[in-house]
Amino acid sequence: MNISLALKLLWRDWRSGELSLLLASLVIAVATVTTITLFVDRLQQALVNESATFLAADRVIEFDQPINDTLLLKAEEFGLQRAETLSFLSMVFSEDRAQFSSVKAVDDNYPLRGELIISDRAFERGELVKSGPAEGEVWIESRLLPSLDLTPGEFLDVGVASFVVKKALIKEPDRGGGFNSAGPRVMMNLKDVAATEVVQPGSRLTYRYLFSGTRDSLEQYELWVKPKLPNGSKIFGVKEGAEAIGSALDKAERFLLLGGLLGVILAGVAIALSAQRYSLRHYDHIAILKTLGASPTDIDGLFMTVLLVLGFCATFLGSLLGYMAQFAIVYILDSYLPINLPPAGIAPIILGLTTGFVCLFAFAAPPLIKLRRIEPIRVIRRDIGEGGVDSLLAYSFGTVGVLGLMWWYSGDLKLTMMLFAGGAIALLALSLVAFLMLRSGAALGMQAGSVWRLALAGMQRRGKENTMQILVFGLAIMLLLVLYLIRTALVEDWQTQIPKHAPNHFAINISPEDVKPIAALLDQNDVDSQPIFPMIRGRVIEINRGKDNSNPSSETGHNDAPPSGDTRNLSYAAELPEDNKIIAGEWWAPNYEGEVLVSIEKDIAFNNNISIGDDLTFEIQGRHLKAKVSSIRVVNWDSMQPNFYMMLSPGALKDFPSTFMTSFYLRPDQKIFLNELLRNYPTMTVIAVDAIIKQIKNIISQVTLAIELILILILISGALVLLSAIQASMDERLKQHAILRTLGASQRLVLGSLLIEFCALGLFAGILATFGAELTVYGLMEEIFNLNYSPSPELWIIGPLLGMVLVGVLGVLATRSVVKTPPIVALRNVI
Amino acid sequence: MIKTVDLCKSVDTSEGQLTILKGISLEIKRSESVAIIGASGSGKTTLLSLIAGLDLPTRGEIVLGGNKITNMDEEQRAKVRGELVGFVFQNFQLLGSLNALENVMLPGELKKDPDVHEKAKDLMVKVGLGHRLSHYPKQLSGGEQQRVAIARAFASSPEILFADEPTGNLDTKTGALIIDLLFNLNKEFGSTLVLVTHDERLASRCDRSIYIASGMLEESSDSINDIQVCR
Repeated sequence: MNISLALKLLWRDWRSGELSLLLASLVIAVATVTTITLFVDRLQQALVNESATFLAADRVIEFDQPINDTLLLKAEEFGLQRAETLSFLSMVFSEDRAQFSSVKAVDDNYPLRGELIISDRAFERGELVKSGPAEGEVWIESRLLPSLDLTPGEFLDVGVASFVVKKALIKEPDRGGGFNSAGPRVMMNLKDVAATEVVQPGSRLTYRYLFSGTRDSLEQYELWVKPKLPNGSKIFGVKEGAEAIGSALDKAERFLLLGGLLGVILAGVAIALSAQRYSLRHYDHIAILKTLGASPTDIDGLFMTVLLVLGFCATFLGSLLGYMAQFAIVYILDSYLPINLPPAGIAPIILGLTTGFVCLFAFAAPPLIKLRRIEPIRVIRRDIGEGGVDSLLAYSFGTVGVLGLMWWYSGDLKLTMMLFAGGAIALLALSLVAFLMLRSGAALGMQAGSVWRLALAGMQRRGKENTMQILVFGLAIMLLLVLYLIRTALVEDWQTQIPKHAPNHFAINISPEDVKPIAALLDQNDVDSQPIFPMIRGRVIEINRGKDNSNPSSETGHNDAPPSGDTRNLSYAAELPEDNKIIAGEWWAPNYEGEVLVSIEKDIAFNNNISIGDDLTFEIQGRHLKAKVSSIRVVNWDSMQPNFYMMLSPGALKDFPSTFMTSFYLRPDQKIFLNELLRNYPTMTVIAVDAIIKQIKNIISQVTLAIELILILILISGALVLLSAIQASMDERLKQHAILRTLGASQRLVLGSLLIEFCALGLFAGILATFGAELTVYGLMEEIFNLNYSPSPELWIIGPLLGMVLVGVLGVLATRSVVKTPPIVALRNVI
Repeated sequence: MIKTVDLCKSVDTSEGQLTILKGISLEIKRSESVAIIGASGSGKTTLLSLIAGLDLPTRGEIVLGGNKITNMDEEQRAKVRGELVGFVFQNFQLLGSLNALENVMLPGELKKDPDVHEKAKDLMVKVGLGHRLSHYPKQLSGGEQQRVAIARAFASSPEILFADEPTGNLDTKTGALIIDLLFNLNKEFGSTLVLVTHDERLASRCDRSIYIASGMLEESSDSINDIQVCR
């Protein structure tokens, strides 16, 4: 390979300006991708960190017995921080009152993530502290102070030990639900637990081992420890630990991923277009080089060297630019970002660089590979000699590149193949439609005035090129519309996910005789409450007679939903709860009295391979109960309403003593009502989830901002594609309009025809983009985002209008040099 | 040096197949200068492009400097062109992004000739453009551009020089100067010259002329004119 000649040609091309557009689009493409990747990575890290405060850690191992120390100590070898908590339910006593409480003992490292806030007085803002109570002290939740008639400084008894109530506990990071969190919180030091003598064999305990560290270390440790954990224990991160946050994060991550992917495709199209122009402008050069003795192999060598050198320069410059750009974005948005972004890692930069090179070879190589087929005869007859360009080879690069990138970014081969096949079929269909549109436009133009005739006739004359341009414009506009629609749907979904007055308190352990008076009390106090459901603890011991499924967790590992073998809350109802949706089978009739039926939540059904008609045997309070699966439900866990994995038909549990539960919304000024409620019904437990709801809303607002920022970055990529597409047709336009101007056409006529041509191209592209966007959004919403698709009629006005204005304005602005360049210069310079 | 046997060339057009050359057989000896003469559309440029290995015939055989190029692939033909052949075209065919000296250096650079710079400079001086080395093609007149093209053609010391209407884009006076330069350099390098022209006066400066009309050789003192109709 003649590297020195390749470098000389490269330098000479650069000097004469031939390379500027290709290099610029490469640099901008790499910069856009790097910016998006870096920014998304930092946002993801920040969101995960922020969400980790729900767990007070990045990963948690939970078990009802202590975990072997060797497993825990190993975490330190992986470079992880660790902490430990122990939760249990216990009666706690002040001098003359008692309260069933949820005690959490924490070590000195707790919390690893999130904030502990304490105060000298109940219900105050409080101050931030780095670790839990010292030995001999306890911190208690605000509402315990009035209900136990305590003030800080007085003593509280837990088991046989006495502790000074040092502070009111205002906020703790991992104040989630769960059985051992049911009562008001008492937080103590882990070293004091032994003195209480509460922990006895058979006590119901929850040991939580908290870990924090880098993503890699956490993943490595999880991989190492998971097979060694005892049956019944589980390891989870924020997504599995807090479902509401998890699903928001999942959707946001998918959106950011989709944004990144679309960014790469847009950047790729921009590169392909400028490489195509570069290649076209080298047809004659290649023919001359070939007459001088350059072989096809020499041509390959020359242009692959050019490509490599360009790639190195562009990816280096692009990454640098991208790195600076994301810094600038973060700097500008600093005051708007509700979270601090962690520093950018090296991985996104490597990802950006690799993406740059893959883009380069997938999108820029195809037009350059074609050059080897240019025939030397072209020096004599320019109308021939483009050769049978090796399209199959050339485009296979592009296809493999696009597929590879889509797979890489989505991590889902099936989805990639689906999107790719759909895209390819749509492209073929759309090219046909675009071509027909052009023909009809030209037919109209024949009956129009001179400016229109010139514009529309021009469109038809360059039919193939313009079809291509409509497709490129259409693709760019379509991707922008897709992203905009998905973003809008996601934000709306999140806003409706937790309605303004979603229940923020759960009341459990309501005795049957208290059901009616409590409902009346809630009503009298104007409290917005949900129906009261019975609740009985029970577990599935058999699925379909004879098949033991008592410990499915050992087979399925950690599931999103607890496996069916766990003891869980069961309920029964005549009516389907409001926010549940039946996806298989049927809900029973309101007056149903037949054999016992059960309705199962979809994840439980899926994870345990339970289907309609299966017989389940429950063990409830030591007795067995058989029930036939009659329906499978989707449950909206984010709704903060009472929900159950398993609901039985009415009357099924009437022979089993049960307690009841409900949820209700309290305004901040109604908080004091809790004390009245608990005083009147001391056996009842109230769990406040208002802090969790506030945190969920906070995270959702951050995620929303993040996806809006990505949308802006993609818009920039889209504009780049439009400009590249316009630039690609520049030579032809310069030549055509130079001829027109030498024949006396006015600037007004030329500009007018350009404006009409670009607006028409934009309009056609907009119509195609709208059609494509509706289809794509339908697929994405149903398959990827689990959102309900509804058509957007306004899109059919916005899409074509956007196409017309965007392409029209950008087109005329980018090609106004057509009327400024003297005709003779244009005619001399253009190939 | 050059031999063709029963050379036919047909192309597909929208109105059916068009036969441009109909069974041309000829022979050109080493160091000979031969003019191919004919009216516009007679097929003379097509003949030149075939014998120079720029295109392939529909039928027939071409031997160039002992190489049967009709049996070669593009890779091999390119090698033969690089080693044996120089070109001068009617429309100069200089690379616009390269200055005059760089255009002349190109053949040597393709061959990785270490003295490429000096040789190109000498040639530029020989063609009278020693003072315009760094000028770009668009900064040169038509005559000057053709002189650069002639310098480039001789840069690889070709055994055969093909010239396609070298004065076609030039005025008479400049054309005459260019022709003088071409013949002088050809003599100096001892190359075989094949020149396509419709100018009888120019043709008369060659050792021999081959007349072509409607794709067939009309008259030639020593060529074999075995005419067959191409299918």
